[in-house]
Amino acid sequence: MNTSKRQLAMVMDLNKCIGCQTCTVACKTLWTGDEGMEHMWFNTVNTLPGKGTPHGWEDMGGGFDAEGNAVVGHIPSRKEFGEAWKFDHEGSYYGGKGDASHLAIAGEPPTWGPNWDEDQGEGEFPNTHYFYMPRICNHCTHPACKEACPRDAIDKREEDGIVTVNEDRCRGYRFCQAACPYKKIYFNHQKKVSQKCLFCFPRIDNGVAPACARQCPGRVRFVGYRDDPEAPIWKLVEKWKVALPLHPEYGTEPNVFYVPPIGPLSFDQDGDIDESTPRIPDAYLIRLFGPSVLDALATLKAEREKKRATGESELMDLLIAYEWKDMFGGFDTDPSTVSVVKWTNAS
Amino acid sequence: MKATYLRDTPLTGLLDPFGEAWSRVNTETLALSGTPSALQPTAAVRVAFPEGTIGAIRSAELAVAHNGSEIAFRLRWADASMNTAAAGEDDTLFPDGAALLFPAAPGAPLMSMGAPGKPVTAWYWRADEPDRGRHVSAQGLGSSDTLDRELVKVAGVHRDGHWHVVIARALAVAKGPATVRLVPGQATPFSLAIWEGGHRERAGIKAFAMGQHDGWHELILDPQA
Repeated sequence: MNTSKRQLAMVMDLNKCIGCQTCTVACKTLWTGDEGMEHMWFNTVNTLPGKGTPHGWEDMGGGFDAEGNAVVGHIPSRKEFGEAWKFDHEGSYYGGKGDASHLAIAGEPPTWGPNWDEDQGEGEFPNTHYFYMPRICNHCTHPACKEACPRDAIDKREEDGIVTVNEDRCRGYRFCQAACPYKKIYFNHQKKVSQKCLFCFPRIDNGVAPACARQCPGRVRFVGYRDDPEAPIWKLVEKWKVALPLHPEYGTEPNVFYVPPIGPLSFDQDGDIDESTPRIPDAYLIRLFGPSVLDALATLKAEREKKRATGESELMDLLIAYEWKDMFGGFDTDPSTVSVVKWTNAS
Repeated sequence: MKATYLRDTPLTGLLDPFGEAWSRVNTETLALSGTPSALQPTAAVRVAFPEGTIGAIRSAELAVAHNGSEIAFRLRWADASMNTAAAGEDDTLFPDGAALLFPAAPGAPLMSMGAPGKPVTAWYWRADEPDRGRHVSAQGLGSSDTLDRELVKVAGVHRDGHWHVVIARALAVAKGPATVRLVPGQATPFSLAIWEGGHRERAGIKAFAMGQHDGWHELILDPQA
């Protein structure tokens, strides 16, 4: 049951994500530049199939079972997220060692990073496949993090369902990190508190869409209230049913939804196009999004054909996003016109 | 148990866990038990720590002394792993810790860390904050707040597989709504808790000393003779 009166949500169209990490950098620049936040990426984009960030997060537990019971979870380590690598800036820029050392990582060689397995994917040539999966906090309707906290230090805002950590109450116990099945909570070892994506609420409060959505050059991300029938979220999630939560079986009812990737067509042994076999196996997409992903893909393909044949499709027009500002459900204020507080004042 | 009166012993002498002053004070061993899993406030905590898995430290040695104005508790317990939760520990472990707990109102319950209107107060040492203790108040599970970081004086040394920790405070401090005043010649209920950070103990996941007086132990402060 949602404890909030309304719920903000995001839809990401995986058919349009090019893995450029502009969202990642927009978020990093805005929110996680302080000391203790070096390893934090509230927004990540990983190649799937892949291990993602933190490494192997889908096997780290948390969330709820089919009966709604809390499932034991693992606290991801900084190494599993990927430490912030240290480079020799001084020597590279001013010490005459630019060519020799500019990519050398100081200290122990890293074994993982936030985008370690980029573009690896799976499959055999010529039917290799991969797609990009951007992830933020899902601002769940049934947030395992909030329900795990013994200090009630995580809030779900009544007015829009954004989930935030109250750093004044947080003692850094990290039960939330164990409980979040998406592993999108980080621990700040300087401040000894947990920190996570805040859906850019200081921007939202000023009518500005989150930075990851607004900065996306691919027009991948839609923002808005779930119950606004005039806005794209409702149309994509409820009307057309082409936007699905990631791993719905985790039981937290995410409010970030994905338009699944159709992927390229397969080649047969003769090098001819084989329309009978999708390049991205159905079983893999079902594992991510549940069985209704097949209906969503069928709808997407049918509407794509309709658009091709007739030039008319409400769904395709929505996904093409002819008007950039229409993607933001009314949160289309220019951020340069408002004053948005920085992290240290944000909580 | 008894808090021995040590005339003319300055706080600095008491804060050294190996100091000469402690040779004049009796040490008692307190049995510790894990907090019940069923009492933990959230389901995620209960599934992470089922019954029987809480309370890695099973006993601690305690000596208590006062000098008429300050009281010091010297704790010693076996702990092969020194967990300071410094940066190198990769954010998955927790600092070792210890705290003394006192009722700050008559009838304040031990097992629930106080109750609304019946606060308890804790003097809390953490291995990642070696130089200063926390003066904590709570009125129920999950409600603890750090009142200040000045009044509680601490020292902790890990040596030969043991923690040697002193937690001290003035007998009386400026009267707050949720603190405790200890008086020579009188008795006070108290308890003791130890967190084993290497066992991921934090919050209500800890070992504590269960006494005979509604769960509390009793401490009698020697009069200033």
